[in-house]
Amino acid sequence: MGMLKKTTGLVGLAVAPNAHHTLGALYGKIIRTLQKMPETSVYRRYTEQIVRERAAVLSQTKDVYELEQKINCGQAEELIIQAENELNLARKMLNWKPWEALVAKPPKGQWDWPPANP
Amino acid sequence: MSYFLKRTIDAGRNIGQQFLNNAKTTALQRVATKTDQAAPQVETRPTVAKLDPLQKSQLIDFGKYVAECMPKYVQKVQLTAGNELEVLIPPDGVIPVLQFLKDHHSAQFASLIDIAGMDVPTRPNRFEIIYNLLSLRYNARIRVKTYTDELSPVDSACDVFKAANWYEREIWDMYGVFFANHPDLRRILTDYGFEGHPFRKDFPLSGYVEVRYDDEQKRVVVEPLELAQEFRRFELSAPWEQFPNFRTNPATEEVVNPAEGPAKK
Repeated sequence: MGMLKKTTGLVGLAVAPNAHHTLGALYGKIIRTLQKMPETSVYRRYTEQIVRERAAVLSQTKDVYELEQKINCGQAEELIIQAENELNLARKMLNWKPWEALVAKPPKGQWDWPPANP
Repeated sequence: MSYFLKRTIDAGRNIGQQFLNNAKTTALQRVATKTDQAAPQVETRPTVAKLDPLQKSQLIDFGKYVAECMPKYVQKVQLTAGNELEVLIPPDGVIPVLQFLKDHHSAQFASLIDIAGMDVPTRPNRFEIIYNLLSLRYNARIRVKTYTDELSPVDSACDVFKAANWYEREIWDMYGVFFANHPDLRRILTDYGFEGHPFRKDFPLSGYVEVRYDDEQKRVVVEPLELAQEFRRFELSAPWEQFPNFRTNPATEEVVNPAEGPAKK
């Protein structure tokens, strides 16, 4: 490349000056948050898989353009937003504990369609 | 799932048989396919939307993914109309499930398209609240449904989606469903001083009041409704079947049902 990236082309989204560093830090934080969840949590398993894949690509590439091509989920700045969202979500998940058993069964006939006659 | 698999396998077999038995097709088909032997499929219902089996299998996979990730909150996942994924959740799970769908890497349903309400008076929880989400990243839509009754509040989705503010006010206005922690829960569509919730099934079509301009008082007055005809009690149960289309083909296809039936794994 060599060319300096001037804009993302998206309104309100500035070019990240050091995308590799930011992404690396965010992925590390996500992984550390996920470590606090129980091993059996499916959310933890899938998210760890996604984040580790992206972190592996991140460590293999030096160039931002190449990184975007390999991850193929938008520009580096969008990847940063996605990682921030996932980090917030993971922290909230620690409170919600969605890996536990179903909290409430639906009342009988709640989801039936067409509805039963009176 | 097995239902879907069977259908796809059947469809594949049908195509194969048609291909093999091409010589035995009817006269009409023979005429149609004379020039092109490789495409014996005759379009029988050109105006009906075609279902994409790939898209459908992806939707089923994603529905299972959501149910696996949030077993605490997902009661059931189903497909309606062939390609519309629905996640059915208890009212406690509104915020976690919406937040998960919005922020997770492989969901990214960042746009709240609409929140709708539904009233079925015969159910124990008569109201359904329906959230329609769109993922611009993956070009996919999903529907999240929950239930409530007249008294129990549902958590407001305003913290997750800013767009939920007015939609929830609309549902409050039309159905009288209370949203807990909503920043500004007021009427939005009905007139000043309006009483009642017009979209409830027990709200009369004519309303309770009528508005007219009074010449003597020189202003608009609101009066209790006076019907020119005496009240008649109509027999409302129809002699015909209400949902004949669902007699043979059910409205929904079940994907995952952790609440009932065996566990998925």
